[in-house]
Amino acid sequence: MSAGLSRRTFLHASVTATGGLLLSFGWDDPSPLGAQPATLQPNGFVRLAADGTVTIWSKNPDMGQGVKTALPMILAEEMDADWSRVQVRDAELDRAKFGGQGSGGSGSMREEWDLYRNAGAAMRELLAGAAAETWQVPRDAVRTERGRVLHPPSAGVLDYGALVMPASRRPIPPAPIWKSPSSFTLLGTRVPGVDTGAIVHGRPLYGIDVRLPGMRFAAIAKCPVFNGRVVMVDDAAALQVPGVRQVVRIPGHENPTFLQPGVAVVADSTWAAFKGRDALRVQWEEGAFGSETSATIAAQCATLAATPGTTVRAVGDVEAALASAARVIDAHYESPFLAHATLEPHNCTADVRDGHCYITGPLQMQTSGARVVAAVTGLPVERVHVQATRLGGGFGRRLLSDCAAEAAVLSMAVGGPVQVVGTREDDLRHDYYRPAGTRRLRVGLDAAGHITAWDCHLVNISRNAYRRGDGPPWSTETYGLVAGVSAAIGPDLELDLVPWQIPHVRLRYSEPRTGVATGAWRAPAHVANGFAVETLLDEIAQVTGRSPVDLRLDLYGTTSALPAAGEDPTPYSPDRMAAVLRLAAERGGFGQRPPEGRVRGLAAHYTFGSYCAQVVELTLEAAAGTAPRRVAVHRVTCALDCGLVVNRSGLEAQAQGGIIDGLGHAFFGSITIDRGRAVEGNFDRYRLIRHREAPRAIDVHVVPSTLRPTGFGEIAVPVIAPAVANAIAAATGRRLRRTPFVREGFTLG
Amino acid sequence: MPETVLQVNGRQQTVDVDPDTPLLWVLRDTLGLVGTKFGCGGGFCGACTVHVDGVATRACTLPLGRMNGRAVVTIEGLAHPVQQAWADLDVAQCGYCQAGQLMTAAALLARTPSPTDEEIAAGMHGNLCRCGTYMRIREAVRRAATLAASQGAGVPR
Repeated sequence: MSAGLSRRTFLHASVTATGGLLLSFGWDDPSPLGAQPATLQPNGFVRLAADGTVTIWSKNPDMGQGVKTALPMILAEEMDADWSRVQVRDAELDRAKFGGQGSGGSGSMREEWDLYRNAGAAMRELLAGAAAETWQVPRDAVRTERGRVLHPPSAGVLDYGALVMPASRRPIPPAPIWKSPSSFTLLGTRVPGVDTGAIVHGRPLYGIDVRLPGMRFAAIAKCPVFNGRVVMVDDAAALQVPGVRQVVRIPGHENPTFLQPGVAVVADSTWAAFKGRDALRVQWEEGAFGSETSATIAAQCATLAATPGTTVRAVGDVEAALASAARVIDAHYESPFLAHATLEPHNCTADVRDGHCYITGPLQMQTSGARVVAAVTGLPVERVHVQATRLGGGFGRRLLSDCAAEAAVLSMAVGGPVQVVGTREDDLRHDYYRPAGTRRLRVGLDAAGHITAWDCHLVNISRNAYRRGDGPPWSTETYGLVAGVSAAIGPDLELDLVPWQIPHVRLRYSEPRTGVATGAWRAPAHVANGFAVETLLDEIAQVTGRSPVDLRLDLYGTTSALPAAGEDPTPYSPDRMAAVLRLAAERGGFGQRPPEGRVRGLAAHYTFGSYCAQVVELTLEAAAGTAPRRVAVHRVTCALDCGLVVNRSGLEAQAQGGIIDGLGHAFFGSITIDRGRAVEGNFDRYRLIRHREAPRAIDVHVVPSTLRPTGFGEIAVPVIAPAVANAIAAATGRRLRRTPFVREGFTLG
Repeated sequence: MPETVLQVNGRQQTVDVDPDTPLLWVLRDTLGLVGTKFGCGGGFCGACTVHVDGVATRACTLPLGRMNGRAVVTIEGLAHPVQQAWADLDVAQCGYCQAGQLMTAAALLARTPSPTDEEIAAGMHGNLCRCGTYMRIREAVRRAATLAASQGAGVPR
């Protein structure tokens, strides 16, 4: 996602007399066309108007993770802009201005940091230089502060807006100097989301709110069985529904993550499209997977788990070490399919006209979205224009741009703008699910309780295989899995593989085959892998009589013992991992006696460059017959290290939200497959965590840091389920190895 | 088609749409008030919550045919301290559910001007937030109660 542009190439000054990028969509630019005064726009990210208003573009979409506020904050900090005079826009797809665009893998902070700092620093230098020139004083004699340039000796003050013209005549600094973090005044503070006003007053903001003149609405019938095909359509009744205009067959694309086949009903309103779709009579060819069930998939996983599998990585001689171990723990973990269930249902709007396609909608990835639309429409990619709106949730679902592809092919067929909308049932039954799988972990312990061997057989459906990705099928499924690293295989260290100091380590993989559509789900693979590893470590600590904190600290080792990280600007650091673990344990009172009736559990994980540890404190209702025992989570203590904090409010929100998301899915989340189709169709069956089930308190503690920021949209999610399972084990002696917990006899409340 | 006459945000509206159509889609597609959100279509998530004659109601399952003569307030017409409280505490993440949360919270405070945490949890239980903003929602309802008490504005209009 990084732009791959040097500082020099993206800085080009221009005084623009034309307006914003978003005029075609109507709601984002408050000023009428052509009415803007002269402005200073040295790069694609920022524009200064003569009235001092600063407009900053957020290149990546905001789905709640906060980038639309945080990225502009970085620029505003470097520019010394007055935040109260900053307005923020969602950037249109524009490779020349912004490089690759998209939100995924918690990458925005990590990858856009340089771009936004450079863009802001260039602006500051232009303005400071222009002021110095105006005053005929040396550049070093002036400084910038909250939207003004100051010349202390003469008490001179110039508002940024007054410097638009002189600054526009100056050369763009090729390598502007960054501010020192010690002088930051905006970063690290609590800044409310820039869309807050629109949200609390219900102004149009999301893809589903887009309204274009002459726009039609479409709903698509898809084969209830994954990978099915349309055989025959009887659309007579559908066409009788008032408001229905047209029925269009969608052939689908060979890559099922691009476009799935179906039959669309195009109508004057969303409701008419839904009713028309319900009135269709479609005969489907169900394909090869029509008899699949959750049980057949689980049986396949169990069979594969008993095979040798493919060795992905091996250090030492695991089999020999296990054979000679004083004690072996052999544990099987299972994880179900999960749906994304973004609260804003599947939707997108497309307008194909004059050989161009204009996409407006909730896409996580504008750049790849344009490629997908080009692939299904046959248009050259440079004729696909993408305006990502605010997303009503992403969670990885909108990494795929199938909604844009559907809208585009329908707009072509209809000859005008079309908004595709899915129902909740469409969303839950035609998702690209978090892939299900099992993990078998065998751990050898010596007589002193040290881990001598670690063997992990990962049997997990591959989303990389499903998306026809390059690379082996396991490449998307091993994130966050203990693979063990010794100095001998240092260069193979993957960012997501936490290095552990175990002499004999092996990671094996087997691929279950299924028709079920799969995709990335918030903290992909980390959630299932982290659950297995972190509950197993707790179990090892218990059986060896060690503290779960000390056991982990020994396994982490130290940063200085790690092989060099090469080019990675945010290399994995065991010291940082250890620090968050210690911080969570200390603040959460882990190892101390909890209040009467309460029990604590601990877990930690490293996800996409950030470090997180949590201590949970809960109460377990007494067992009563066969009813699930109620778990009340009183407090979660969450320690984080994401480098320098950009927006404290956003960081705490993501930590709290990630914990609640992870907790809810651990207890309730599961998509059941029956006769080749997803069973759960709405929130009555696909249970999401509700207000009363959330923790009573979540305390967030951040390790102070001036290191390059890393993302925090996913890091809290994988940690909470194992922390809870470890607390339940402490209370009951029972090790939970499967989610959802509600099927293991525990519910939330 | 029979016309339905209803009041929306203080204005009388005459709507000529199939009376089976849920109020949600009349608001969004006929009247252009897209602030009320479609979440589930089954009354499970609360994203579509509006006030009908002052009562928090799910618009996605309420047919237009039952709306004759009734008064609807949507998020666009809400003027209540909950909005200030939500902004002060930066409650929203994706923000999609928040219109429904705000409508429910305003109605809750009208019934229970000074709710306990348990009353907040019970009152807000029907509104799902997929991002998990429940902690801040609880704080914001408390704050809105305080703001409303100081402004004497406990009743949504």
